[in-house]
Amino acid sequence: MKPIVFTPLLKTSSLLLAVSVLAGCSTLSNDGGASDVSKLTQPRIGFGVTGERTDSDAQASSAQVSKLLAAPLTPDSAVQIALLNNRGLQASLAELGVSEADFVQAGRMRNPGFSFSRMRGGDEVEIERSVMFDLIGLLTIPLRSTIEQGRFEQAKITAASEAVRLAGETRRAYFSAVAAAQTEKFMSQVVTSAEAGAQLAQEQAKVGNWSKLDRAREQAFYAEATTQYARARHAATATREQLARLLGLWGSNVNYKIPDRLPDLPQKPNEPGALEALAMEQRLDIQIAKRDVDATARSLGLTNATGFINVLDAGYANKSTTGAPRENGYEISLELPIFDWGGARRARAKATYMLSVNRTADAAVRARSEVREAYSAYRTTYDVAKHYRDQVVPLRKQISEEVLLRYNGMLASVFELLADSRDQITSVNGAIEAQRDFWIAETELQAAINGSGGAVSQPTVAASSSAPAAEH
Amino acid sequence: MVSRRDLFTGAAALVGAGVVSRVGAASLPEAVIMQSAATQVPPPPPNGRPYNPVVTLNGWSLPWRMNNGVKEFHLVAEPVVREFAPGMKANLWGYNGASPGPTIEVVEGDRVRIFVTNRLPEHTSIHWHGQPLPNGMDGVTGLTQKGIQPGKTMVYEFEAKRPGTFMYHPHADEMVQMAMGMMGFWVTHPKNPNFMKVDRDYVFLLGSYDIEPGSFVPKTSTMLDFNLFTFNSRVFPGIDTMVARQGERVRIRFGNLTMTNHPIHLHGHEFEVTGTDGGWTRPESRWPEVTVDVGVGQMRAIEFVANNPGDWAFHCHKSHHTMNAMGHDVPTMIGVSQRDAAKKISSIIPDYMAMGSTGGSMGEMEMPLPENTLPMMGGQGPFGGVEMGGMFTVMKVRKDQKRGDYSDPGWYKHPAGTLAYEWNGAPPEAVRSTSAGGQSMPGPKPAQNVEFNVRKPSGHSGH
Repeated sequence: MKPIVFTPLLKTSSLLLAVSVLAGCSTLSNDGGASDVSKLTQPRIGFGVTGERTDSDAQASSAQVSKLLAAPLTPDSAVQIALLNNRGLQASLAELGVSEADFVQAGRMRNPGFSFSRMRGGDEVEIERSVMFDLIGLLTIPLRSTIEQGRFEQAKITAASEAVRLAGETRRAYFSAVAAAQTEKFMSQVVTSAEAGAQLAQEQAKVGNWSKLDRAREQAFYAEATTQYARARHAATATREQLARLLGLWGSNVNYKIPDRLPDLPQKPNEPGALEALAMEQRLDIQIAKRDVDATARSLGLTNATGFINVLDAGYANKSTTGAPRENGYEISLELPIFDWGGARRARAKATYMLSVNRTADAAVRARSEVREAYSAYRTTYDVAKHYRDQVVPLRKQISEEVLLRYNGMLASVFELLADSRDQITSVNGAIEAQRDFWIAETELQAAINGSGGAVSQPTVAASSSAPAAEH
Repeated sequence: MVSRRDLFTGAAALVGAGVVSRVGAASLPEAVIMQSAATQVPPPPPNGRPYNPVVTLNGWSLPWRMNNGVKEFHLVAEPVVREFAPGMKANLWGYNGASPGPTIEVVEGDRVRIFVTNRLPEHTSIHWHGQPLPNGMDGVTGLTQKGIQPGKTMVYEFEAKRPGTFMYHPHADEMVQMAMGMMGFWVTHPKNPNFMKVDRDYVFLLGSYDIEPGSFVPKTSTMLDFNLFTFNSRVFPGIDTMVARQGERVRIRFGNLTMTNHPIHLHGHEFEVTGTDGGWTRPESRWPEVTVDVGVGQMRAIEFVANNPGDWAFHCHKSHHTMNAMGHDVPTMIGVSQRDAAKKISSIIPDYMAMGSTGGSMGEMEMPLPENTLPMMGGQGPFGGVEMGGMFTVMKVRKDQKRGDYSDPGWYKHPAGTLAYEWNGAPPEAVRSTSAGGQSMPGPKPAQNVEFNVRKPSGHSGH
């Protein structure tokens, strides 16, 4: 016996009509709800999702992935590949199919039950036959259908939310990987510069211009730079692998190409505007919470009305007893609300309702705060990256030019020149990190507005500050 | 550029408009301003006792006004811009538009009144270095007078008693004010113009400055590590040539306001020191020299007969003092093979060029420098680059240089057979002694042999 929800407003006649209409009309969709999910993701991340249900689906996806992988990835193409190829997301979409099946199932009438019993005592044989219809089940098809539809919708939003989260993670991983590769390249230049310095120091010592102390100092930097370069190289590999995981790539596809440099900063940062209001409309976790409130409100109303009804079964029954005429009739079983008038259930429903109302409010408050914080991170990282681009890097460049002029005039040594080039490279690394932080913060802001919030990015401390001070 | 404004022909028109107040103009002598760094040969004195004027190298002499028998001068202490050599200017403090200030020339027994107007942002004073004068005129702030406050004028008055070579400089915040270029020459001529008369009498002051390449103001707290060593706040190739007619008697007087001594060396002639700050040296005390050391705060007058025609170097013999701004912490790169490293460096610094593997000489290489600085060595001679800077100039002695003509006669044309020439024959056998020296003072045996790699020149391997 399963609990049954029941709407008190419906009258039996209309109910029956509805049953006849509904019973045959809830059918499985072609794509397991993926197109509905796409409708949710399209405005939020710019792309829809495709559930792979057949071999031809898989082939189409894989062809598209190959096509996208032919060129160096962009943030968008990375997101597209992840949406097509990430197995985790495909699992979510498959789960959506399960929900849909439940929903469709809920719209089907339960098969009638038939029971037959034969008892014999002495000469007496008693045969009972009954056909039982799940009357309440029949009556409540529309109700169950509505509820399962709600669940299905919920699952769609969840899947969309999953897709939006995946898109955000992919973008983050993409920016990290590009930045790490860029840093690796610059660090290799530091190594070159340190190597040149060490080489000169060795020569200096060989011809007698320098002591072992001076030579060792210059070589020590080279030795340290080598380890730093090794770390930078690993960071490039690690971030690349992180991206590969999200893109679902393996085999020869892991040799995917990324561009040499991060996208340029936008001309101007976006103004805060009505981001909070937008987040209230767009955020999928808020939508899930709101739907939850609606659903619990409905079930609260139902429980209030039908709290005392536990189960109602009706059926045709007949009974034949040997030597007695066959008895025909029907049977209704009804639980009498004598001991349990449903007060506890109503209280529970009410509490459940309040729970989801408060959860929704909490989600809203959190979402608003996350949007504000994400905007601050977005704006700060923009300003920092712009400052690097317009101030720090040009100044470093100017310093390098001036040091070169001083080298030309024999006012500074080649070692100062090399030390300065290392400083300059470190500043450029700082600029790369700042630019990466901006793009990640931008992604987080989108997640805070459109998705379910994201890990709010902390402006990271630039590697430049931890770089070893130049020896000269 | 030259704001000399007919200095010696129409001196009355030379009142510096912004310098003297309208009220003061009635009583103050004109403050003549000079901004050119070219040598200004003065005319004979227009009034007062006669004398043979001196020629201030890259400088000038201050005109005066006779007022009831008193020679009145007007010095204005003020910020000035001084060109050290073409391509570099410095913001200094000086007098009457230039650093050093104008040379003051008076005659033994002259009553001298000097108006000193202060246009500096801080108080100043003037000490008349070497002059016998009343104590209250000695110009030591705090000790003998109050500082001359900004915008104020004070008057010094005394009799130029002793003939000789003098200088003037502040004795107020002197560390800063002298590092900023405040100094000037003073000559008291003998009453008798024929006393120790010479045909040419050059004067200048030695100064040292620490001006970072690319900057314009000297670092006033530098104590010894100066990078510009100057004659009258000029460096080679910005120092004017001295000229003489063959056979003329030439006097060169110089005073040292740097923080170290300078062995001043003249090529091709021997000279005698005929004067110090203390006066003229007695003839029997003189000895011949080709280099004379002038200590800090000292003055020397040297004299010689310019009997050898040619272009003769004249310079401080401290080799860093004949260099312009240079790195003092630059490692020696001699013998260092830079080829491999240079490739790597060029990959990160595209404009890099390896230098120094064969020495410091950059030959004729011209590379861009920071703004407002000069090459370490510069100036083109008839045979190529003169690898000098700083305290270096040329004494040009010519047979046909006219008397009183200070113009540059151009490069010396060496008579046939008087120029060093390349030997193309077989190298002569080296003459070595096998018996001289020996083991007269054997030292303790070194613990181990130190290996030396003697580098013989082998083309321009590092360039």
